[in-house]
Parts: sequence; structure tokens; C-alpha cells
Amino acid sequence: MIPFLSRISTFFHVDTLSLVLFSLVVLVALSIGSFSLRYLRGDRRQASFYARLLGLVLSLFLLVSADHLLLLAAAWALSNFLLTRLMLHKQEWEAARQSSLLAGKNFVLGLAFLSLAFFLLYQLSGTSSIQAILQNPVTSKWTSLACLLLVLTAMTQSALWPFHRWLTSSLNSPTPVSAIMHAGLVNGGGFLLARFAPLFFQQAFILNLLFAAGILTALLGTLWKLMQTDIKRMLACSTMGQMGFMLAQCGLGLFPAAIAHLCWHGLFKAYLFLASGSAAREKRLPLSYPPALSRFLLATCFGIVAAVLFAWISGVQVQVADTRWFLVLPALVAGTQFTLPILQDKGRYQLPLAFFAAIVLGACYGASVHFMESLLAPLGISQPQPLNALHGVAALVLIASWLLLLFVRPDSSLGYPNWLLKLYVQMLNAGQPHPGTVTTHRNSYKF
Amino acid sequence: MTTITEAPLITPKETTAPQYNRQSIDLAISGSWSRIAPFWPLKNLIAVNPLAGFEHLPFHEALVQGTAYFQQQDMPAGMQLVNRESIKWLQAFFDQGQASISMPLRTRGLLKSTLQLFRFDQRLHKNDPDKIRFLENLSHTPRAVIAESLFYLGISEADQETFLTLVLTTLPGWAAHVQYRTSWADAADEQDPHPVTKAQYLAFRLVLTCLLWPGAADLLRWHRNKSAQQSEPAILPSIIQNERNYQQQLVKQVQAVQAPVSKSQPAAQLVFCIDVRSEPFRRALETQGHYETYGFAGFFGLPVTIQNPVTDQSYASCPVLLKPASTVQELPGASVEASRKAYKNLQGFKKLYQSLKYNFTTPFSLVEIMGWASGAWMGIRTLFPKTASTLQTGIQQAIAPAYPLQPVLDSIPLPQQVAFGAGALKMMGLTQDFAPLVIFCGHGSATENNAYATALDCGACGGRHGAPNARILAAILNSENVRKELEQQDLFIPADTLFLAGEHITTTDEVLLFPDSVPPALAAPLQTLQQDLEKARKLNSLWRSREMGLPATLQNAAALTELRAKDWAEVRPEWGLAGNAAFIVAPRWLTKDINLAGRSFLHSYEWEKDRDGAALTTILTAPMVVAQWINAQYFFSTLDNTAFGAGSKVTKNITGKIGSMQGNASDLMHGLPLQSVYRSDSSPYHSLQRLTVLVHAPKTNIERIIQAQEILQRLFCNAWVHLLCYDPTDQQFYQLSQDLIFTPYKY
Repeated sequence: MIPFLSRISTFFHVDTLSLVLFSLVVLVALSIGSFSLRYLRGDRRQASFYARLLGLVLSLFLLVSADHLLLLAAAWALSNFLLTRLMLHKQEWEAARQSSLLAGKNFVLGLAFLSLAFFLLYQLSGTSSIQAILQNPVTSKWTSLACLLLVLTAMTQSALWPFHRWLTSSLNSPTPVSAIMHAGLVNGGGFLLARFAPLFFQQAFILNLLFAAGILTALLGTLWKLMQTDIKRMLACSTMGQMGFMLAQCGLGLFPAAIAHLCWHGLFKAYLFLASGSAAREKRLPLSYPPALSRFLLATCFGIVAAVLFAWISGVQVQVADTRWFLVLPALVAGTQFTLPILQDKGRYQLPLAFFAAIVLGACYGASVHFMESLLAPLGISQPQPLNALHGVAALVLIASWLLLLFVRPDSSLGYPNWLLKLYVQMLNAGQPHPGTVTTHRNSYKF
Repeated sequence: MTTITEAPLITPKETTAPQYNRQSIDLAISGSWSRIAPFWPLKNLIAVNPLAGFEHLPFHEALVQGTAYFQQQDMPAGMQLVNRESIKWLQAFFDQGQASISMPLRTRGLLKSTLQLFRFDQRLHKNDPDKIRFLENLSHTPRAVIAESLFYLGISEADQETFLTLVLTTLPGWAAHVQYRTSWADAADEQDPHPVTKAQYLAFRLVLTCLLWPGAADLLRWHRNKSAQQSEPAILPSIIQNERNYQQQLVKQVQAVQAPVSKSQPAAQLVFCIDVRSEPFRRALETQGHYETYGFAGFFGLPVTIQNPVTDQSYASCPVLLKPASTVQELPGASVEASRKAYKNLQGFKKLYQSLKYNFTTPFSLVEIMGWASGAWMGIRTLFPKTASTLQTGIQQAIAPAYPLQPVLDSIPLPQQVAFGAGALKMMGLTQDFAPLVIFCGHGSATENNAYATALDCGACGGRHGAPNARILAAILNSENVRKELEQQDLFIPADTLFLAGEHITTTDEVLLFPDSVPPALAAPLQTLQQDLEKARKLNSLWRSREMGLPATLQNAAALTELRAKDWAEVRPEWGLAGNAAFIVAPRWLTKDINLAGRSFLHSYEWEKDRDGAALTTILTAPMVVAQWINAQYFFSTLDNTAFGAGSKVTKNITGKIGSMQGNASDLMHGLPLQSVYRSDSSPYHSLQRLTVLVHAPKTNIERIIQAQEILQRLFCNAWVHLLCYDPTDQQFYQLSQDLIFTPYKY
């Protein structure tokens, strides 16, 4: 008995990564659990919802604290299985069944990638302890293959293009399930890569591949989000974009930044899902685009203020040309965008106000990243990479897409060019949920 | 070489109908749309009978038709395909501000814009050259497109109307939205920059059908089969039983009531909306002191548009059956300039957030900036809803304080003001024996994170709060000029009578009073009244809390209902008008001592003062019809919450800011959500019964009115509404039969 118990502890490795993620899950699950007491009152499956939610939280605890390859894989499978069960809340509703099935297929594919990767790692290192594998990484082409498989697993789990469809088709789930999904399991990819981060430090090519897939997804997800006309699909497409950004950060070797993004996005998105009943009341305000160039340039100056403050507070060293520049770039863009409405407004105190706004933004942004980075610092999983051409292209794409939406307004009176109409229709179709998950006959909906 | 002489395959030219009968197409179009009831957008949900298009039929036949058209459990796969693509394009076209990148070309109207975009939609034509040619060769007017499509699908002229009807009823929610947009749109939606017509919508659906399901003529066969299988609805006997039980009890209770002998002056008179939620509150208040209450439509007879100079928003605050006659500004108690500035500041904060959220690249930073705050706010709102609400209003008040509003009457000419005032007082039967305090009490609800919030507001005010109308009527009747004019009409209002406006918050039972300047003599009675309103609130909250299944006591009941109003997770903040069963047209003394359990619309009426029947005619043709709409909405949402209701709130998904879908995508779910009419997934709260109207007036008066009013004949003849008469001349109860004859009421 005693030897067995002492062996059990070797299956686990609890570090700050486990603790951070588990705190996130507990916080969100507590909120959702309390929320659902009222939200699901009278629902015939409220009890099974709670049973599964509890199961999910426990399996996530196993997942983030597992040190044994098999245990991690098992927790991975179990939590994903429970998620598909939670998605199938209204069991007689065919569209919900299809959503759950679609997610299930995707997770099975991910599990296959994961199992293969783990098998290779076990074969290479001869140990099933993750910490042991990470401490003495074997460098061979097989390690590269294992890393590639881990990346593919992360891509299926975090709904990166082309594995995104399960997420954008997952909205037949009850609102609280969407909330826990977007704050929880969809982030699995980020966790997995952060857990195995040391393996990737020597895999520049795979990191670049991951980065490219991430940025592409970030772009597509955001574009689709901006095109969606219903609140929940908009949130789902937005998550897809955010996941792309998160994995792109992993691709930059900035794993702690990715975990920071994971946590803050999780809380943000869980809140937005729970608040989705207010969508009709949120009025879009006129943002007066395109802005005057002088206003925009002025805003850019405040963007620089925000970026500098961000870099200072978050402790990002930018003397060296490495991928940490990628943390500063969004701060610059956000600072510009944030102060722009203030500067466009002809108020009296716009300059001090804009300055104040830039300071607040830079400080909040810097503090939240710094907080997570310092928590995760002991893990030593931050390994910025040297900048390369791909990074340059991606930076241009991030900036160009933002400026495009800001400055380019097709003049509808002149008519739209055909290529633009074609692009719109193609993107409209690409953002649609999987056909089987649409309730095409009203009466096939079952509560 | 016989192949040459053979009839060629269909060429594009021949897919267009060579000639078509314009008149018959137009008749088919209007005939098909006559089956479709409108559905209002979430911003002001108005209760409506989803089978309003079948009210020309007897109730039981309408049920059969409703089943055939709307409640089928299966649907041909081809039509489902058409629906899927329809939903995609309709969502994009009718979006009112969810998307940042909107559908292009929308300003050209539904048909033109979609026809141009369909050419790029490979999911529709799959690059099939024939289909692309079909699209290119379509005519440009909706009517012609309809004719060509019907020809292409092989629909004979005799079947046209039925086929078009099916094109609408197979996606009923969106059809109902288009019916709203084309026949019932309010001033804002009438000017929607993205136009649609009934014919355009049909043409849009038909083109999709031609592309995706050329064999759609099968739809007719499917419908005929389904119609043939229909029999008398099994639910009917239990509905009739519900009604009979309810009526028996009502008649018994009313019969036992004795007419009051003498009358003394009350401390105050309060006029509430006819809404069923007023009845238990009135009863609770009447037990607190000598208060006289009245029931009257909550817009107080004022067909007005309310305009807010601070937000620049305006809306019609009257029943949707009426067109507003005047526009009234409501000014804040502080300077308009300052209020506008504060409002702009508040908007400015929201802009900061929106500018980060709805762009490329910036959302990635936004989540990292706001993440911790969102998490904390989520926790507070969930675990401490009241604290969250206090914080929220505190911040809002700090940035843009909400000031008490005052209507500006200048926009209504004096004679019109006099007409409004006299009309309202006469209709509510309050023309003499005025108390020193007369309160006009509108109503509205208070809920959080509730897509269906406006379904709980005042239907008589077009799905809005009723306070503005109450303020206007109070201001009119306090005006000395108006009172002088009223005296010419023998309507004497004592100089020491003060009219005040109030608002009954139905979720919490609070009554807010809006006094501007109260003479010292009235300060004490007003204070007493406010205390009594507070006591009534506790009493009614207790009753309502128990109705909601909460273990309430008199001490905690108000806190419980307040929690429901402030909790963002709450799906049943109040029961709204669920349970509604009767519309009683009588003086209050007749119902005062009866516990009507919040199931009755009460309209004050004294037959002795209405010799010509003008007031009764109005009551029966306006408020009663609205009550019937409400009754039918609750009835059908309870009967089949999938076909006629919106389904569970748990999986709803708001689209285009106008309505909700279920899950990923579905039909626009018109009707009430499950949680509005069901206690749980399986147990209904609302009882299935048609409206029972009880009128306290001589039956000959009522007969005369029915003979003159076609709408009443339709509703009574077809048994959509039951009419009972309590004839004061012989103290007997009569019931109206379906051939419109009063017979003595039989238990």
C-alpha cells in the first residue's frame, strides 16, 4: 500500500503552470456553477450538467498536474470527452448531436496526434515522466516529428485553421458550456505547448510553422468575427482568432506570454458568453472612420507612449532584435487605436485625456503580462527567437489589416469591384457552421 | 435525324415564364402573406397571435391549419437546404449592427443585393453553368422573378398561392419578421436603409429554391399529405375544460358581490394599466387604506411619440394599432446642455472599448488589458448581483446622472390637450368625486442580461415603459388652462386636486412617483401613500415570490424580487403576463373583494355613464383586442414552444440585434421563450385557455356593438374569445354563443 502511494506522487508534477491554469479553471467554474444554478433552473438536465462540470474540473486538474505521459493523455481524453457530453445538453436535438460529434471527431484526431507524439517521446527517452523527458531532451529527427505532432494536437485542440470548424459550430451548447469551453479546454493547445516548451527551443522550423499557422488563424478568425451577425458565432470566431494569436506567441518562443494571453482571454470570453443575453442592447457607436491623418498620427504618438510604458512595466527588453518585439507591437497598435476616439472628439482636454488613456492602457497591459510572466519565470520557458523574414511579414499583415479597416471604406455609390463581392461571399461561407449543425427545420429543435 | 426535331432541352430563354398573369401572381402574393402574423424585434416585443392569419377560421379549424403549416415534425430535405442558405443570407441582410463588416449592396434592397451576390456563392450554384445562366437571365422586378421561378419549378396557377404560402411557412420566423418590416415597422425601422418588400422576400426564397431544390413542387404533395392526416386537435377538450372551470369560478365569485351602498371620498385615486400584473398589486394597495383604483390602457389614451433631447432617441409610446398624433419632448431636470455632455462622455467610454474590440489586431491586446477586470466583474455579478448592480448604477450616475424628466406640452395644441384629458377621464370613468391625489401609474420591468426584457414592459406603450405617458397626462390635467376648458364640458376638477405620474416596476413591485411640486397641504397624504405603496409592494412581492416557488416571508419578499431584477443569470425574473385568462370590463367594486390571482385584465367601466355605448365600443375593439393578442401569444407559446415559441433561453443566440435563433443557426425564433411560460422544461406555468371577456353592461348594449363591429364578430363567432355578460338590469349572467346570441349562463 505505502509503496503504491509513494509511486502515485511520481505521476504528478505541480508547478506554477499547473497552479495558474488550475486557478483559472476553478475561478471560471465557480462563476459558471453559481450562474447555472439560476440559469439552468427548471432544465431537465441541470443535474447531469453539474456532474459533468465537476468531472471536467477534476479531469482538468489531472491534466495540468500530470507528469506521466499516459496520465496526461488519459486526462486529455477524459476532459475532451466530458466536454462533448456537455455540448450535447439537449440530447434530442439533432443539430446539437452533430456539433458534439464534430467536436468529438476533432478531439479523436487530436488524441491520435498526441498519442503518437507521446509514443515517440517514450521510445526516444525511455521514460514516461514528462519532467525527465524535458530535462534531458534527446535531439533527433524523431524529436522533431514528436514536436510536430504536439503542434498538430495543439492546433486541433485550439481550433486553428484548418481544424477550426468544431469551434465555430459549437454554439448549440448551452451558454454556460460555451463559457467554460472558451475559458477552458479550447486553451488546451497553449497549455500542451507550454508544458513541453523546452523540447521546442531547438526546433526553429517547427516554431515558425506554428507561428505561421497562428497568425493565419488570427487573421481569419478576426475577419470572420467582424463579419458575423449573431453574437455567439461572433464570440466563437473571435476565440478562434485569439487562439491563433496565442499559439503564434508560442511560435515566437514566448510561452509565458502565451499563457498570460490564455488566462486573460479565458476570463474575458467567459464573461462575454454569460453576458450574451444583452447583445441586442449594446448599441454600436459611430467611430467616424476613416480618421483624419493628423489625428491618426497624433494617436500613433500616444501609441508609442503606451508601448514604451508597456515594455517598461512588463519588463520586455527590446534592445535586442528578437521576437519580444511582437509583444510591443500590439501595445503600440492598441495604444493608437485606444486614444484615437479621444483625439477625434473635439473636446477641450483631449491631449491630457489621450495621454492619460495611453498611460492607463500601457500600465494595465504591462502589469497583466508582467504578473503572469513573473509567476511563470521559474519554469524558464521563455526563449525568444531571433527575428526572421516570416516575423516581418506577419508584423506587416497585423498592421496592414488594422489600417485597412481603419482607413479603407469602399464607396458603395461607386459599386463594389467583383473580386471584393466574391471575397465577401467566400468568407461569409467559410465562417458558416458545419451544415449538419444548423437547425434547418425549426421543429427539429428540441429543448 | 430525329434528334434535331426533338424539343430542345430547356434553354435559358425558356426558363423565363413567357407570359404570366400579373393579377393572379399579385393575388397569390397577398394571399400567402395574409397567413403570416408579424413578429416584433427585441427592442420592443409586442404580443401577437402567431395564427392571426387564420383568425377568419373557427378556432378549432385554425388549430388544424396551424398544425399543418407550422407544427410538422419533418420537412423535405430539399426545403431544409433552401432554409439553411436562406438563414445565412437573411442574417446578413437584416443585421442591425452586430457585424462590423456588413453585407455589401444592402441599400439596394433584399432582392437586388442578394441576386448580385448569389452569382459568387458556389454553395448555391456549384459552378453549374445552367444555374449561373438561370441567375443571369432572371428579370429585375420581384413579381417577374416570382413568376419565372414558379414557372421554372413547374407550379400550376391553381397551386401558386398555396406554394407561396409554404415558401413562407417553412421558415416562419423570418417571414414574421418581414411581415413586421413591411406592414408594422415603427418610424425607425420604416426608414431602415436596407429596404425589403413582401414580393422581394418571396422572390428571394424562390430563387434559392430554384437553385437548390428544383423539384420543390414536391412541397405541395408533402403539404397535401400532411393536411389530409389532420384531425381534430386532441388538446381541444382539455382547453375547453380549463375554460369552463375558470368561468364557473369567476361567475360564482362575481355573483356573490353586493353593490356598494354609499361612497366616501378616498385618500387617493390611482389609475393602473389594464395589465394582469396590476390586479394583485391594486388589491394589495386597497387593503392598506382608503384608496380607489382604476384600470385603463397604460398609454392613458395618448398616442404620442416620446423624444429624448439628451439621447436624440424617439419612439412611439402607444399601442401598435395607433399612429402617434403628437411628439412630446421630455426634458431632464438639469440643463439639457450639461446632460448631453454627460451622455456624450458615457458614450465616449463605450467608444474606447468598441474601438479596440471591433478591429483587427487590437482585440488581442484588449483581452490582456481587460481580462482581469472581466474575471472580477464576472465573479461579482454572479456571486453578488446586488453589489454589482449598485456599482453599475453608481458609475453610471457618476458619469451621466439620470435626472427626473418633465414633458414639454407645447407641441400639443391646447384643444388637443383638452381632448386627451377629457377622453382619458371619461374612458376610465373618473369624471367626478376626485380625490385630492390622483395618480396615473404606468408600468415597466427591470431585468438584467435579458434578451426578452421588453416582453415584460407595457404593451399599450408599444413594448416600452409607461411613465412618460403618465407624466404627460398628469401635466395636462394639472394645467389651469386645460381645467378651464374642461369645465366648459361639465368636467369639474377641484382646485385642490393634484394629478401625479407614477410607474409600477413589475419585477420588484416598487412604485416610483414623479412629483414635481407638491402643495404643502398634500405633503402628508403623499407621504402616507408612499408608505402604503411600500407595504403593498411587500405584500405583492410575497405572493409573487411564492408563485415563483421561493420560500418567501413578508420580511424578505421584496429583497427576493429585487434580486431577480438584478441577477444577470436569472431566466425567470418575473412571470410577466403568464396565466392571463380574463378581461373584465366593470367598475372596480365588482371585483374588489375577489382574488383574481393576477390572471385578469381589468378595465374600469360604468355602463350608466355610457348610454351611447361609445366607451364600450372602444374598450371592446381596442384594449380587448390587444388582450386577445397577448392571450394568444401566451397560449401558442405554451401549446408548442418550438413552433410558436422561442425555445429555451439556455441555447438562444441573438442575431442582428433583432431576434434570437437556437444555437449555431436556425429560423428566427418568434414567440415567447420557454422560461416565460414554463416552470421547467416539462411543466407549464401558463394555463391553456382562450380569453374570457366579462362585461358588466346590459346585453342589448353589447349586442348592438357586436352587430356594428366586424372584428368582434370574427373573434366571437370563431370562438377566439369567449364573451360573458353580467347584465346589471336583471342581475343575470349570459354567455354569447358562436352564432352571436346571448343565452343564460349555464354552469
